[in-house]
Amino acid sequence: MIAFIQRRIFSASLLLGGMLTLIFFAAHLTPGDPVNVFLSPNVPQNVANELRHQFGLDQNIVLQFGQWVRNALTGNLGISFAYRRPVLEVIAAVLPNTAVLAITAIVFELVLGLFFAAVAVRRHNSIVDTMIRNAALVVSTQPTFWVGLLLLAMFSFAFGLLPSSQMHSLGAESFSFGANLFDVGKHLVLPACTIAIPGSGAICLYFRQSLLKVRREEYMTYAHSVGLSNWALFVYYELPNALPPVISILGLEIGTLLSGAIVTETLFAWPGMGRLTVLALSARDYPLIMGCTLVSGVFVVVANMIADLLYGTVDPRVRMT
Amino acid sequence: MKIEVLRRMALYFSLAILVASCSRQDGGQTALPGRSVVVGIEGDVDSFNPLFAQDVTAGEINDLFFPGLMCARFDQKTGSLEYSPSLAKSWEFENGNKDVRFHLRTDVSWSDGVPVTAKDVRLTYELYGDTTVASVRQPSVGELRRSSSGSIDIGQAVEVLNDSTLFFHFDHPYPGQLFDAGLPILPAHVFEKFPRSSLRESSMTRHLPASGSFYLKTWKPLEEIVLGSNSASRLPRPAKLPQLVFRVIPDYHSRLAQLRTGEIDVLPYINAEDAMEIMKSVSEIMIVPMGERFYDAINWNNIDPSEYASSQGKHILPHPLFGSSNVRRALTLAINRKEIVESYLHSYGRECVGPISPIFQWAFNDTLTPHPFDPEGAMKLLAMEGWSDTDNDGILDKAGREFAFTLMVPAGNQLRSTIAAVVQHQLRTIKIDMKIEQVERSVFWDKVIQKKFDACIAGFSIPLQIQMDELWGGDLERSLMNIPSFRNKRVDEILHGAKRILRNSDYAGTWKEFQVILHKEQPCTFLYWLNDLVAVNKRVKGAHVGLLGVTHRAEEWYVADAAASASNGAR
Repeated sequence: MIAFIQRRIFSASLLLGGMLTLIFFAAHLTPGDPVNVFLSPNVPQNVANELRHQFGLDQNIVLQFGQWVRNALTGNLGISFAYRRPVLEVIAAVLPNTAVLAITAIVFELVLGLFFAAVAVRRHNSIVDTMIRNAALVVSTQPTFWVGLLLLAMFSFAFGLLPSSQMHSLGAESFSFGANLFDVGKHLVLPACTIAIPGSGAICLYFRQSLLKVRREEYMTYAHSVGLSNWALFVYYELPNALPPVISILGLEIGTLLSGAIVTETLFAWPGMGRLTVLALSARDYPLIMGCTLVSGVFVVVANMIADLLYGTVDPRVRMT
Repeated sequence: MKIEVLRRMALYFSLAILVASCSRQDGGQTALPGRSVVVGIEGDVDSFNPLFAQDVTAGEINDLFFPGLMCARFDQKTGSLEYSPSLAKSWEFENGNKDVRFHLRTDVSWSDGVPVTAKDVRLTYELYGDTTVASVRQPSVGELRRSSSGSIDIGQAVEVLNDSTLFFHFDHPYPGQLFDAGLPILPAHVFEKFPRSSLRESSMTRHLPASGSFYLKTWKPLEEIVLGSNSASRLPRPAKLPQLVFRVIPDYHSRLAQLRTGEIDVLPYINAEDAMEIMKSVSEIMIVPMGERFYDAINWNNIDPSEYASSQGKHILPHPLFGSSNVRRALTLAINRKEIVESYLHSYGRECVGPISPIFQWAFNDTLTPHPFDPEGAMKLLAMEGWSDTDNDGILDKAGREFAFTLMVPAGNQLRSTIAAVVQHQLRTIKIDMKIEQVERSVFWDKVIQKKFDACIAGFSIPLQIQMDELWGGDLERSLMNIPSFRNKRVDEILHGAKRILRNSDYAGTWKEFQVILHKEQPCTFLYWLNDLVAVNKRVKGAHVGLLGVTHRAEEWYVADAAASASNGAR
């Protein structure tokens, strides 16, 4: 297991290194001068040149990359051009918001997906199964922005049940801890559902298929014959054996979600990594682009590694090789 | 046992979601004090430091924190700026109007209790002028007196006599002296502690003491900016509102929906179409036009971009398509600007004839009428210039070259994209082939500055003091915003002369002549003056939305029915 983790960390480091190199040069070679974003074109050239110097953009691109790598290895990701604060500080300010959204969405997704798949399998080939299967197919193909707009129109603007944007109500800083938690929860429901609804459809379909396959296994027939209850069968036999495909999907999805759900965050004005990345890209904020890429890359790699580990734990037949 | 615990947890979780979902929400502002006002904005402001703040909202917020020596007001009747005392209680011009002596108030303090003095003014101007600081406002100190070496020496140009008296020494008298002396004043006792080269990166910006009616209470990046009333302010007084909140909502339609539900009280820059619809359907909201400070134009590159690039700006040849004023005029005649205004701007725009806004009544040439929509006239002018469809392929040609070019449009502006498509269609009817290229903003400006384009749509926000040098100066190395690269000897003389006058009115006739030249030469096709629209909830009273901005004089804002709103729990 340790050797497996070491190998994964090594290969992930190579992957991340390659990705960061690519992103660095791609970002710098893309047309457009960051100084044009931060200064009006009518500002004198000497001011623009001074700013280029302060941003370190007057150096050779290879030197800039070397400098960035040296600093990054010491934990210094540079100063964001747009925020004029250390990149780590900027990312740290929004990362928890994205984590809250991503984890809640995943929980919603899992609960809904697994529940409906289990019901469908229980009523296999009945009208309930058909309805769930078709509904899952439909929701899994809906674009996030469309789901978000529908939820907003219904729960926020038509019925006024849930807040339409942001993470906190105004004046939330004066709330008690409990009230604050409740407030965040209220703001979280719609964006989390926006991500979770299409995702839960996919999970439902995968899990249903996997469950049906497990049910056809001989050991299930044996377990039935020894008189185990349906609940015990589900928890001890079906669930562990049907979960691996879902874990693989979740591994990919949680990594991506922690990098930021750009559409959902924009639609609900959720202050997270997705919006920060878009801002960094549009402002040609190279240090922030690199920081966001690094953090996102680490999340994707770590989430996949955890998924692999879980896969092995749930299904002992899979060896950590 | 474990299963039972899991079941209970699932039940509690579901209940929590249900309770959260079913509680009637009030726009997410349950605890909002009834007298707060919320302004919806698209993105975070770029800086809370006037040295570096570039975007419009940042500028307005900084003005609320750091008032200048004078308070500006735009007189609609005369069409010029008028100044009233702020930090300076009085001022007088001396030395043939080259010097201005300011007498400062002695009862004004920063919010940390330190008095505001002439030292603050001088240090602020030193920072604006210091190349190391690289302030975006450096051009505003360009007319201050220079040292014998020709460089700006603020130590000499802004002379402090004592804590409450100082001189501004200008190179020469000009109408914008008070405008340039009226920049936001910063706390010297804070700024002098930091090395100037690191001011841009310094985090102290978020904790600066303020002298204006508001101070920065909290800032949550990508989320909200909360300004609190500065109880110590005497410039001019503490704000009536306990807090003014700017909420960042990136999606335009979400902002609009929140305006309707009352979650947002003030929403700047809404589309004319939405404004019309809101006025019909939402009685609690009023639409306020900000005034004509913004115009869009199609800039025809008057010079050959490839020759300019290959000679690094040394050889300038006319553009093979747009080098002739007859051709440019023909293009203007072929574009139905009246229809564009009526269809897309409704009553919130008007056809533009030149770069001087009608708000400058004294300088605006109202004898000029917009060129009519006349495709036949356009064809005749083009034929005069030798353009005809000799090969019958539906595109004009001349000496083997087809009249085909690309119009560059900055991405992200729906109105300009739509207009580009309309123009493409209209030029096609006079056998001109125009392609549209949407370009990301920083790439757009890169290409514009390097003159690497044939034609582009660009918008200009004009200052409240006529400043045409950067836009129309013939020295293309200096006048980077002369997008069409228009060069005219008489225009250069007019622009040079504008720096040497004392009063605006002395130059009214000359500015009118300037407009006649541009009208005739058509270096670009001026499309329309855009009257930016702001939606304001009627519960917000005392708002002075106008040419000076959305939150100008926001210290006077208050909420009429605060008690009622608070008790109802509704907005």
